Amino acid sequence: MSQTNRIKGGLIDRNQVMNFTFNGKAMQGHAGDTLASALLANGQRLVGRSFKYHRPRGIFTAGSEEPNALVQLRSGAYQEPNTRATVAELFDGLTATSQNHRGSLEFDLMAVTDLMAPFLSAGFYYKTFMWPRAFWEKLYEPMIRKSAGLGSLSMEEDPDSYDKGFVHCDLLVIGAGPSGLSAALAAGRAGARVVLADEDFTPGGRLNAETLEVDGTAGADWAAQAIAELAAMDNVRIMTRTTVYGAYDHGIYGALERCTDHLASSGGKPRQILWRIYSKRAVLAAGSTERPIAFGNNDRPGVMLAGAVRTYANRYGVTPGQQVAVFTNNDDGWRTAADLAANGVAINAIIDTRDAPAVCDVPGARHIRNAAVVDTVGRKGLKSVTLTDGQVIPVDCLAVSGGWSPNVHLTCHQRGRPTWREDICAFVPGADLPPGMAVAGAANGSMTLAAALTEGRAVANAQIKALGMTPSRKAAPKAEDEPRDCAPFWHVGESKNRAWLDLQNDVTVKDVKQSYREGFRSVEHLKRYTTLGMATDQGKTANIPALAIMAECTGKTLQDTGTTIFRPPYTPVPLGALGGRSRGKDFRPYRLTPSHKWASENGATFVEVGNWLRAQWYARPGEQGWRDSVDREVEMTRNSVGICDVTTLGKIDVQGKDAAEFLNKVYANGFAKLAVGKVRYGLMLREDGICYDDGTTARMGENHYVMTTTTANAVLVFRRMEFARQCLWPDLDVHLISTTDGWAQFAVAGPNARNLLRKVIDAGHDISNEAFPFMGCGEVTVCGGMPARLFRISFSGELAYEIAVPARYGNSMMQVLMEAGKEFDAVPYGTEALGVMRIEKGHAAGNELNGQTTAYNLGMGKMVSQTKECIGNVLSQRPEMLLEDAIKLVGFRPVDRSQKLIAGSHFITKGDEATMANDQGWMTSVAYSPSLGHSIGLGFIKSGDTRKGEVVRAVSPIHGTEIEVEIVSAHFIDPEGERLRA
Amino acid sequence: MSRPISLIRKGNVCVPDYTLTSAPPLAGTDITIGGARLTAPADLAVVSIALPLGGEAAAQKAIKTAFGTALPEVGKSAIGKNGARLVRLGRDQAFVLFIHATPDAEAVVAARLKGKAYTTDQTDVWCALEISGPDSRAALERICPLDLHPQAFAVDDAARTSMEHLGTLTIRTGENAYLLMSASSSAGSFLHAVETSIKNIN
Amino acid sequence: MIINHPLLGPRDAAEFVYLGDASLIDRPDWQAEDAAEAFYEYGYLRDNPAGQHQELWYHEQGDRSWLVVTRDTLTHEISKVEMARDVARSRGRSK
Repeated sequence: MSQTNRIKGGLIDRNQVMNFTFNGKAMQGHAGDTLASALLANGQRLVGRSFKYHRPRGIFTAGSEEPNALVQLRSGAYQEPNTRATVAELFDGLTATSQNHRGSLEFDLMAVTDLMAPFLSAGFYYKTFMWPRAFWEKLYEPMIRKSAGLGSLSMEEDPDSYDKGFVHCDLLVIGAGPSGLSAALAAGRAGARVVLADEDFTPGGRLNAETLEVDGTAGADWAAQAIAELAAMDNVRIMTRTTVYGAYDHGIYGALERCTDHLASSGGKPRQILWRIYSKRAVLAAGSTERPIAFGNNDRPGVMLAGAVRTYANRYGVTPGQQVAVFTNNDDGWRTAADLAANGVAINAIIDTRDAPAVCDVPGARHIRNAAVVDTVGRKGLKSVTLTDGQVIPVDCLAVSGGWSPNVHLTCHQRGRPTWREDICAFVPGADLPPGMAVAGAANGSMTLAAALTEGRAVANAQIKALGMTPSRKAAPKAEDEPRDCAPFWHVGESKNRAWLDLQNDVTVKDVKQSYREGFRSVEHLKRYTTLGMATDQGKTANIPALAIMAECTGKTLQDTGTTIFRPPYTPVPLGALGGRSRGKDFRPYRLTPSHKWASENGATFVEVGNWLRAQWYARPGEQGWRDSVDREVEMTRNSVGICDVTTLGKIDVQGKDAAEFLNKVYANGFAKLAVGKVRYGLMLREDGICYDDGTTARMGENHYVMTTTTANAVLVFRRMEFARQCLWPDLDVHLISTTDGWAQFAVAGPNARNLLRKVIDAGHDISNEAFPFMGCGEVTVCGGMPARLFRISFSGELAYEIAVPARYGNSMMQVLMEAGKEFDAVPYGTEALGVMRIEKGHAAGNELNGQTTAYNLGMGKMVSQTKECIGNVLSQRPEMLLEDAIKLVGFRPVDRSQKLIAGSHFITKGDEATMANDQGWMTSVAYSPSLGHSIGLGFIKSGDTRKGEVVRAVSPIHGTEIEVEIVSAHFIDPEGERLRA
Repeated sequence: MSRPISLIRKGNVCVPDYTLTSAPPLAGTDITIGGARLTAPADLAVVSIALPLGGEAAAQKAIKTAFGTALPEVGKSAIGKNGARLVRLGRDQAFVLFIHATPDAEAVVAARLKGKAYTTDQTDVWCALEISGPDSRAALERICPLDLHPQAFAVDDAARTSMEHLGTLTIRTGENAYLLMSASSSAGSFLHAVETSIKNIN
Repeated sequence: MIINHPLLGPRDAAEFVYLGDASLIDRPDWQAEDAAEAFYEYGYLRDNPAGQHQELWYHEQGDRSWLVVTRDTLTHEISKVEMARDVARSRGRSK
């Protein structure tokens, strides 16, 4: 196919030939073309099928408002559906395919739906697929899913990468058309930090699509000069291919930059960037969008918006047809006729709904006054139009103009409501703009070029003044006021055939009227009932005519009818761009423990604990599964000594003269009298009396404490302590800083723990049981002078210490401990063995401190002091929380020791039915105890503390299990604590 | 970066020589891509200083004596004796950054402040990257929500923020140079975030 | 949103963590006769104004300060930002 519709002129580079295919057909275009302009150049009028009726459709617009020409670009994993051909830049090698048809584009098997149109009116789905209910899942839903949607996904992972970015400016100018350029020039010249963003790849807006002049030069040339001047300013940043899609609070704007969509390959660079633009002020210069007039069969390929037709001619050197007619209700439509005629394209007729004289002289064109198009002929391409008086005019392109609507969208993103201006037949921005925003040019209803240029400068200067800067004195660029008269005319009442309003969603005039008849009269109801204004184009061309028809039905004014609320995004934003880099293994940051390297070299399997990767167990050759490894780690620890990296526990350095008083307030138990060199277990409550976190706090010096928190709550506890410090007790001298990452901390547990540590702790530090008893702490040195902290605390129930060294020595410390431990057969253990040992010992952890349980439930009720001020103690005494039959934490063992307990099982008294009413509590943690040789569990059961020895049933309906369990002490191992005090 | 701690004797018994070696997570990083270079400063010690409530004036005086420069305003840093950099993070909190290889940085600072302020060793809490070169600001623009324009963030300015979900302290150390500090445990993710930013602008 | 931090200047709200009504500063006296009732109100009852609202924000990705932000819940306009510690003192929470 050759470029039969190329005409002279345009901003394309004819020396650069771009080869591309459409549905496999080889075609050529030029640099500067969009896919749409290249398709039109090649005479390709039919480009897709409509959503609902599968009607043949062609290119309708020349911009981001396109409702029809949605195509699939690229192939394989790069395939992207629902791309607007009107904004897709042509590149060499582009492959495009049409979508939403079964069989070929020309012979779509689904076109049968068009014949069923009388049954498929608005609300069809709501009414039809209601019954019978059983049909929904098996029949209706699969059928609808199959026929719904437009393009198809590749179903492969997106191979492109995406990025985000942050830009700051004094003034954001949205749109680089005449008013935007004028505004940016004014602000740039005043020295403000300016960002000028435009969705197009060539800035200039309608100056590139018109033959109008600015300052005596062609509009497109003036725009290029303006861009060159702006580009030379250090304080101005021009962002092309960048759509500002949303106006958010306090001057923040969202923008999508398409970096590599115009290239055959992204070359490994981010395909798109989602920018967050922080602006002190903004000028919205988003221009306006032309709207159609509804008449019978107005959706045929070849029926286009008039402004788009002249854009193709003036900017791209393409005529969409050889025999063109214009159908307009305003002066602007005439310029399309004039521009095409000037390019030698035959203009057969100018059909003006107004009874008014010719706006300009168009050679060869018949001026038909006070007339309208009532119907068209040509299923896959327009052949002729029929006027209200019955005359038939042969044309292959009809340029339609129903007037222009200012692009007010971003003015409404913070609930602004546009107001109707009768003189220009359009909604313009209301008074309630987002703070900091001003609007200029066509977006503000200043429709002529001269007005846009003047207003752009004036609005920018006002913003510059508001920023406390001095505006430039340079005058606004000059242009003439082109004729812009417009007379409201929305649809041709005489049309008997379907007259389309929303081409993307196949909503017709009849559908709007039906919506009215059935009571869906508010614009929001109209939208939901008919799907008007939904999907990728958000009704940019369709909404206003449809609202006008609803206004006719209701007899209200357009002002009173109003618009639906515009919300971000202005044009579609790919989910990939919103996700940015956060995908796959980069979904979130990861944290490594200091001994991670050693662990990964020594067979560790890692588990995610929040962002941390922790060693879960260390498999040895020959072990058949994780249980083998975990059982061995527990046994070797309890028999001799084991080592575990516990760095992930939160560490908070607490210092100050009032540190003791402060800790006494944030912990429920007493901390006022903890001696230097001692550690104490601490329990934190929420203000409502529920347990929040626990840990140990060591008094390292007179005014110096080191607190540990659980791994999960490290950040939350710190935040809460800062709240207490700043908001509740602001005059305590206490200072907090996290040292979690600063110290590599290892639990050394087991009967040989002291013997092992004696080999690495420098002589002179006495760690005998007498000198360094259970719950002692202190500063020591290891390996010849390395500062270290030693805590005699035990989570496993064994004789145990935790030793901390500066984190950068942590990996080495793990090696040293293992080397020194060789003679004791020391074993590294992971989080699983840690968990098994704490269950054997009966220590509560996250499963028990689950945000629902109290100290009373945990058997620690007496720890909650009532003789001091502390968080949570008052509400912990509410009667409901101290009931006699409250749940209590106890241990459980299966009556049949070979049975395996299941966490989450609920307890039912023997003989009772397993119902919620008979629920006695639940199993929180279970483990196989290598020390006891059977499964054990911890759990909460009503009055558990007084029911030891009783047998109840642990029921798990999910697993279909029911196990008899005996209530026992939670302390399965060494209940008297002899080992840890040894 | 290996720094052995010497052989020791315990009493009269000769014990095995257990030696701890230092392995900071980003040690040795030196990457140049286009107009930006990314390096990990060696032996950067970080010690936090907290001003006691009611003892702020005495603490500030002690700081000035110790480092030869006054504690700067919040959001600023100042360079004192021997290149030590004081960074004011909040009303009552500051960091001092200095080159110091051995793991006793906190003791050194505490000794100089003579008990007039509370000190905590933060050296291993953080990892640091210096990004330098003409593309530095453009690269940081991809992850840093702060306005790093010279008018808004001058040399020696300092601010904390979040980059790619990681808390980061940024200090402008030169016209085209920034010191970035983030949590040491997530150093790998942090390096990846900054390096990706540089790659993405080239 | 942008929160204009009294010490650090305008910062993206993403750096902050929201807590809620600034009445959480006014923690009741634990020894008062009606302490249980007062703590119940303190813990559970909040005003939910459509308009000016004083609320607590924590600058977690910044200087770790708690702020009292006066924000209009209808427009998100922020009319005042104070250091919560200063507010707490002014509300009599000093020792």
